[in-house]
Amino acid sequence: MKCQIDVTEDPLKVQRRDVIGQYKLPVDVRFCARCTVSNQRPRITFDAQGVCSACNYAQYKREHVDWNEREKQLRALCDKYRKANGDYDVIVPCSGGKDGGFVAHQLKYRYGMNPLTVTWAPLKATDIGRRNLDAFIASGFDNVLGTPNGKVTRRLTNLAFSHVGDPFQPFIYGQTNFPLHMAVKYQVSLIMYGENGEVEYGGDAKNAFRPDRDIEDHDKHYFSGLPPEFWTEHGVSAADLKAFMAPPHDQIVRNRTSIHFFGYYKFWDPQENFYYCTENTGFAPNPERSEGTYSKYASLDDRLDGYHYYLGYIKFGIGRTTSDAAHEIRDGKITREEGVALVKRYDGEFPRKYFEEFLEFCSISQAQFDQVVDSWRSPHLWEQVNGAWRLKHTVWQP
Amino acid sequence: MGAGERGLAPEAHCLAALRSTRLIARLDIKGPNLIKGIHLEGLRVIGSPNEHALRYYQQGADELIYMDCVASLYGRNSLREIVEAAAQDVFVPMTVGGGIRSVDDATDLLRSGADKVAVNTAAVANPELISDIARRFGSQCMVLSIEAKQIGPARWEVYTENGRERSGKDVIEWVRRGVALGAGEILLTSVDREGTRRGFDIALVRAVTAEVSVPVIASGGMGTAQDLVDVVQQAEADAVAMADILHYRRAAIGDVRQAAQAAGLSVRTYG
Amino acid sequence: MASAPVAVVDYGVGNLLSVRRALEHCGATVAVTADPAVILAAKHVVLPGVGAFANGMTALQRQGLTGAVRQVATGGRLLLGICLGMQMLFDDSMEFGLTAGLGLIAGSVVAVPSIASDGRVQKIPHIGWNSLLLPAGRESWNGTLMQDLRPGDAAYFVHSFMANPVDPRHRIADCHYGGIPVAAVVGRDNVLGCQFHPEKSGQAGLSVLRRFLRM
Repeated sequence: MKCQIDVTEDPLKVQRRDVIGQYKLPVDVRFCARCTVSNQRPRITFDAQGVCSACNYAQYKREHVDWNEREKQLRALCDKYRKANGDYDVIVPCSGGKDGGFVAHQLKYRYGMNPLTVTWAPLKATDIGRRNLDAFIASGFDNVLGTPNGKVTRRLTNLAFSHVGDPFQPFIYGQTNFPLHMAVKYQVSLIMYGENGEVEYGGDAKNAFRPDRDIEDHDKHYFSGLPPEFWTEHGVSAADLKAFMAPPHDQIVRNRTSIHFFGYYKFWDPQENFYYCTENTGFAPNPERSEGTYSKYASLDDRLDGYHYYLGYIKFGIGRTTSDAAHEIRDGKITREEGVALVKRYDGEFPRKYFEEFLEFCSISQAQFDQVVDSWRSPHLWEQVNGAWRLKHTVWQP
Repeated sequence: MGAGERGLAPEAHCLAALRSTRLIARLDIKGPNLIKGIHLEGLRVIGSPNEHALRYYQQGADELIYMDCVASLYGRNSLREIVEAAAQDVFVPMTVGGGIRSVDDATDLLRSGADKVAVNTAAVANPELISDIARRFGSQCMVLSIEAKQIGPARWEVYTENGRERSGKDVIEWVRRGVALGAGEILLTSVDREGTRRGFDIALVRAVTAEVSVPVIASGGMGTAQDLVDVVQQAEADAVAMADILHYRRAAIGDVRQAAQAAGLSVRTYG
Repeated sequence: MASAPVAVVDYGVGNLLSVRRALEHCGATVAVTADPAVILAAKHVVLPGVGAFANGMTALQRQGLTGAVRQVATGGRLLLGICLGMQMLFDDSMEFGLTAGLGLIAGSVVAVPSIASDGRVQKIPHIGWNSLLLPAGRESWNGTLMQDLRPGDAAYFVHSFMANPVDPRHRIADCHYGGIPVAAVVGRDNVLGCQFHPEKSGQAGLSVLRRFLRM
């Protein structure tokens, strides 16, 4: 649909962002000795040997975790939550991809649970994404698809892109909170995610040794890090935001809602999840690689997610290839040498395929897009050489 | 059945009837490992290349194909040592490909025990490489490797860099040009079917075998022996490259040979 | 089994590595050599070769090895020509005009016909696996290089020209290409030849080499 959404601002006066201050980034750029990620990933830490926390966690996972013991804990957890009467007993957030598919299939067919799989609609579904979701459902799962108001979504995406430098923030909020809504509505206490991203990919590792995570009280109504006043000033009412926000905290608590990570109970290997799902849930990878990376099996379902990754590349110098290569190195699929070569080849590739669609979705012009993007180029990462932007430090030339 | 009914050029039809189908084991290599992916991605480590090559040779493979999957990324083919080692115990023809960019690269591999070289990315960038290699070593040594991805009804695009980059070239036009330049054989991989076990892309293989009269090896998608029978009977493939079915031990070459014989295909007598 | 090293003639033509490996696999010690003395000291000599006849003969002459190879034959030692090497054992070849060969087996080398016996076009070169058969007039392979094989066993061929022995008794095995018999294995006393590549023909090829080493 080509209708123009209401954009009331003047052409954006875009001020240079303080990326370092906002994300508390170190000024000196360092790369992990083992994988391809840098210290610019927010909340990541490096040890004295220059190895990042995600790599250390991967080693710990391989060498020090008693997975038999964890399996026992999983069985105990399932025994505790399993309902004998046919009601759903676990919410599995999924997109139709390999991770949620793996979790749902295991819980249902190996651990005898009755999952309700829950999907938050992508901004713009890809054919392969929709096909995979359908195949997943057809392979034997109940699924609820939550699709927020299209006009509101576009408005939020525009605002988040312009003011926070991430068009995907609203989506991420909605995706995080929708399972909480479903848990409350269906009176299901247990929500089972795949992996704890902070732990597996290098962030705040404080939760590495527990299977669950605290549910914070979001009743202060901040959304995408911005206060309610910001949204109302920009034409988004509290009612508009409701679908994206968590249900009232007291309802969550009364439901005895508990968020667990399957990656705590089972050795998490995304590539193996991919193979598992091709065999069990009808998952098909993309025959062509996603723009910005070499991968064909991760994050396939949204035509516009490339712009989230691209902004990540601008802000942190960490593109999609860096992340994909990093976890494949940690999982022993590729060597660091290959990872570095892949990053050099593909990282930061501009997602051209759906660019016009993205601009139209956000009702912005290319000039506005460029202005916003450039405002996030911190001088500690970027320099201009012969009129072209270039990263000062890369993993192949630190 | 007359040539016209099959819609093939008369020569191609005659030749197809005379050849026996070759059963080829395809090994995709990365560094020291044999690997296997789906759509040429998600490359899982299977094990030792030479252990598997030896097993397939002993099972009766008519030929082996070794493809270096990181070669394009690194700009070099690293299979020389693997090929040299294979040449100690494997006594059937070997084709080696991946990252071959010059006649010197080809010479190196042929001297190490390879009988044929397979070229894709470098040939697309510089088609003269095909004739240079053919002139020096003979067309029978020069295999044109094509990664084909469907882009429309009866239309396929040539991909390079191990299925990662589009070239903008049409497969049928490219295969015609490649053979004119001296390619003696075509290794045709369907990116859409590769690793999926859903059968070969019959339409793709048929379009290529109808276009040229050099042998065409169908690669990508073999789920069962019946798929092999289908691609030979319906698409006139001269040879079939098997990977997933062998590496995951879903069948041995002997099983496939028996099934082919039972279906009336002409194959080498072995065992 | 041979105790002196098997000499593989290195005259700059042919895939020597595979031939050597195959012979070693059959238990031989192998010397890949261009030294006439080494060649003449061997009990078994292998003459490999791929490519054009004229090139092969010129290369052999340039290395000064034509005499040595002939002497191996006349001296009663065992000589095995492979592919082009087999063709060079004959009197001459029609490839690119008439070229003289070593003249060790009577006959000429001619092009593999591009028209099959039934009139249909066939592809040149003859490449691939083809079944080995008893030629007309030969009852069995006992006492020959082919002793350990059975009719129908296949070998790997790559060639555009074929040798025609004058004496039918010099045809040990044939294959059929386009309905036309092609000399696959030839032999006159101690001078032997394989048109196919025994080093690329799996177990069948190795059986031929083993038999050669036992002679």
